[in-house]
Amino acid sequence: MDEQDKLLDDCLRAVKQEAFQMKRCIDKSRLMDALKHASSMLMELRTGSLTPKNYYELYMAVCAELNQLQMFLLDEFQRGNKLSELYELVQYASNIIPRLYLLVTIGVVFIKSHESSRKDIMKDLVEMCRGVQHPLRGLFLRNYLLQECKHVLPDVLVEVANESSPDDASQNGTVLDSVDFVLTNFAEMNKLWVRMQHQGHSRDRVRRERERQELRLLVGTNLVRLSQLESIDIDRYIKNVLPGVLEQTVSCRDAIAQEYLMECIIQVFPDDFHIETLQTFLKACSELQTGVNIRRVVGALIDRLAVYSQRQDTSEIPGHIHLFDIFNRQIAAIFAAKPELPLEDVVALEVALANLALKCYPDRIDLVDQVLQNVDEVFQKQSVEEIPSDSAVSKELLKLLKVPLDHYKDILTVLRLQHYSNLLKYLNFKPKKEISLNVIRSIVDNATVISNLEEVESLLQMVKPLIEDHPSVTVDHTSDEFIEEQTTVGKLIHFLKAPEMDLQCQILGTVRNFFGEGGIHRVSYTLPTILFLSYDLAYGYFLVREEDTKWNKKCQKVFQFCHQTITALAKLELFELCARLFLQGVLALSRIPFDTRETVAYEFMTQVFSIYEDEISDSKAQISTIFLIIGTLQHVSCFSEENHEPLRTQCALAAAKLLKKPDQCRALVAAANLFWSGKVGEKELKDTKRVMDCLKKALRVASQCMDNLVKIQLYVEVADAYAVFQQRGVDAITDEMLIQMLQKIQDELPSLEVSDESVHVNKHFQNCLDQLKKLKPDIPF
Amino acid sequence: MNFLGFGQSAEIDIQLDGADTRKTAEIRTVDDRKDKLLLYYDGEGVSGKVNITLKKAGQKLEHQGIKVEFIGQIELFYDRGNHHEFVSLVKDLARPGDLTENTTFSFDFAQVEKPYESYTGNNVKLRYFVRVVISRRMSDIVREQDIIVHSLSTYPDVNNSIKMEVGIEDCLHIEFEYNKSKYHLKDTIVGKIYFLLVRIKIKHMELAIIKREMSGSTPSLFQDSETIAKFEIMDGAPVRGESIPIRLFLAGYDLTPTMKDINKKFSVRYFLNLVLVDEEERRYFKQQEIILWRKGEKLRKGQQAQMTNAMQQYTATSVVRVDPVDDVSDGEDS
Repeated sequence: MDEQDKLLDDCLRAVKQEAFQMKRCIDKSRLMDALKHASSMLMELRTGSLTPKNYYELYMAVCAELNQLQMFLLDEFQRGNKLSELYELVQYASNIIPRLYLLVTIGVVFIKSHESSRKDIMKDLVEMCRGVQHPLRGLFLRNYLLQECKHVLPDVLVEVANESSPDDASQNGTVLDSVDFVLTNFAEMNKLWVRMQHQGHSRDRVRRERERQELRLLVGTNLVRLSQLESIDIDRYIKNVLPGVLEQTVSCRDAIAQEYLMECIIQVFPDDFHIETLQTFLKACSELQTGVNIRRVVGALIDRLAVYSQRQDTSEIPGHIHLFDIFNRQIAAIFAAKPELPLEDVVALEVALANLALKCYPDRIDLVDQVLQNVDEVFQKQSVEEIPSDSAVSKELLKLLKVPLDHYKDILTVLRLQHYSNLLKYLNFKPKKEISLNVIRSIVDNATVISNLEEVESLLQMVKPLIEDHPSVTVDHTSDEFIEEQTTVGKLIHFLKAPEMDLQCQILGTVRNFFGEGGIHRVSYTLPTILFLSYDLAYGYFLVREEDTKWNKKCQKVFQFCHQTITALAKLELFELCARLFLQGVLALSRIPFDTRETVAYEFMTQVFSIYEDEISDSKAQISTIFLIIGTLQHVSCFSEENHEPLRTQCALAAAKLLKKPDQCRALVAAANLFWSGKVGEKELKDTKRVMDCLKKALRVASQCMDNLVKIQLYVEVADAYAVFQQRGVDAITDEMLIQMLQKIQDELPSLEVSDESVHVNKHFQNCLDQLKKLKPDIPF
Repeated sequence: MNFLGFGQSAEIDIQLDGADTRKTAEIRTVDDRKDKLLLYYDGEGVSGKVNITLKKAGQKLEHQGIKVEFIGQIELFYDRGNHHEFVSLVKDLARPGDLTENTTFSFDFAQVEKPYESYTGNNVKLRYFVRVVISRRMSDIVREQDIIVHSLSTYPDVNNSIKMEVGIEDCLHIEFEYNKSKYHLKDTIVGKIYFLLVRIKIKHMELAIIKREMSGSTPSLFQDSETIAKFEIMDGAPVRGESIPIRLFLAGYDLTPTMKDINKKFSVRYFLNLVLVDEEERRYFKQQEIILWRKGEKLRKGQQAQMTNAMQQYTATSVVRVDPVDDVSDGEDS
């Protein structure tokens, strides 16, 4: 590029020199000499060795100087120094580039000074510029012409008389002359611009196309100018402007130009013009070259009109124009005319169309369905099967499918789209899953309740990818992403809810069958929800027992269903979860006194014990399960003595059989609770002997601990328990026993090494004492 | 006798009548400068005064007679000694005798026929002048005063446009059209070039005006071609279907009317040469003769006419005659 810089420098220097001379002559009012220097300066624009960018710089420098000349001439004319032969004189220049630049400069001066017929001069200038056929030089020359004429284009419908020669009204021209002028200039510039593509070596194609892109603004300015003519109303636009622009755009048969110009038309002319000319414009689109990005062009138009229709300040879209129908028809025509159009573009256009439908006709769900059907038909016609997930088509289809999701807050509306699921089938696993997740999020975020079995079923079909593994995707089941995803899925189940309970029952059955397929990593997120909902359902039946004579049966059925479900989980070896869910079932049962509930509850409890005994071997899991079992059993009141006795005995037994001493100790304390406040029917057991057995055994176990810290900690806990039980009415516990225990602990405490744990133990002990003192102020501590 | 420093001598001064009111014109001199001289037309009289000033007061000038001549002559440069006079009028101003004082004579050539236009070419010159000769025994005292003559023509009766389609097969095919075949010297050539087929990479196109001067007669026939104007009418390469406008103002160039066989001594003809230059600097051209003629000067044009003239464009009036001749030649034009 060094050489380019040097070339540009040389040119600029020469321009500067000649411009300096020119201005000196201007100062001395030596017009002819000034023109001569101007001409020499303009010779620099004849260069063929600058890149478009550098030529532009040179052009700008020259323009600035020509502006000075023009000002001077305008002054001369104003002072009454009419130089009418000037228009001819500048044409003596033997080189065409300087000649035409000067001619334009003088021509505009003539127009501005009302020297001569504006209309004729405009016409003459735009015609004479044909002499420059070199694309770059021609484009800039015509740009100069357009630029200079910017403020003198007639913009009136009826010609107005000249100030200087009022009889000569016909010479000033109307807006139609301006249109002719700009359209001619536009056509010529576009031809030059297109021609650049075909000149030079084919190996320079990339560079050439880049250069063309740099120059496109020059061509587009013509359209801007047209759009700035205020006397052009819709009728004139339809009749005089658009046909000419489209004719040139279509006939130039150049993809770069067509794409740019079509977008340009959309951008520069007002929306109400577009609405009235949709047919024409879209028809032209179907005639464009293969390389044109139709989807961008039409998409841009649709987007604009969609926004336009949303604006508050605009009047309504005229009734006779049904935007959607027109677009729908014309887009179909484009597809028909251009079978080579890539599928992604087809889909993208339909995306735009769907957006239009949603924005302009928010109530017309059928229109969106129509769009989906269009795509489905195209796919069928081209026998598309599964679309690879990374392909552009897939991305566009994904966009299309998300449109209704994002728009309709209510997912039910989406479910009513008949062609939605058809399209979903074309998606590969990954994007399909993305849609599924979007669907669920929409439901959860908007708290949409789905209460109809069919809808539930179709929804479940839609979200199926979330409960499947797919060979193409590896999932890390411990990743946050996966957990978040499945948690959301779990949330979904809460929204599948019918007001009638029988239906709800059916839904739960369906849902359970569906999510049951999810595999070990997923059911733990989904099935618990189903169980809780089932327990709720059973309670619901109980609440309406007066009206529903079959409620007993139904409750039993629900719990049977729960039993099966939990057993299924057990098959997947999610034992702890099973135990919890069974226990939760027992709690539920406790509130619902249907005929066979004790049997069921007992079955549930035995299931828990057998899981505990057979399947839970980890000591931590064991202790926590034991606590849960004891806690549950203590709370429920659905057992008779016949069933309760073996259960509580089993608890105590299990507690004593734990592996670790501390676990044993704590479990025994818990079991003691069971014997005191466990209920047979509604009556608490208050079995002092068994309570004391448990507590004593706990104390003994604690004393067997080797670790001093643990031992004292356990002592504190047991002593605490003693105190509490005494308070709750276990009269076998005397104050002496308490004092003795506390004394022992207090003696032992100092032997502890200072550590976090020992501080904790001390604190616990102190709390214990404080509590006790409140009740028994005479305790000697 | 005066070369010896003694004896009488005299200055002759020719003063043409109306020198300060008559129009003047310029003409090229042989050494390429411009002379500004009084302008006369055919049939106009040439009159004036001859002042003879004696160099030495009080001494007489003896002469064999004083005469004034009006001469139109053609000078061929290869034949310096021989001047071909086509007009020669003589008037005696004084019989042989003595001049004793400064004397002024009047002369008047009435209604002089001036059949040709003054012309200075590369090999030939046609001039008109008034010559005063004081004949003496040893050496004559001679004084010449040139004038310029313009021959005016009337509007040509027939003035067709020049239309032609030419080309090189499968390479270049153009159609060109000039609005007239006969142009007056301040005229504007308006036309267009229409490209029917372009398979060569054209760089630019220009219109040249070539003057061809033929002088003498066989065997010593001289021919001289000179490019008077080079006028670029197109920059860059056009494609099929383009039409390029031509507008060339002849007033900007130093031209003479076309002259044919002037006194059997010389001709001056003008050609329009359309030249296309391609990227390899090859030139393709086609020459067409145009007739130039001199139109009588009128009053200054009005503003509007001036502009209309400055914006003339060619609009084809009829279907172009297809010329089967394939005569765009490839090679250097002279």
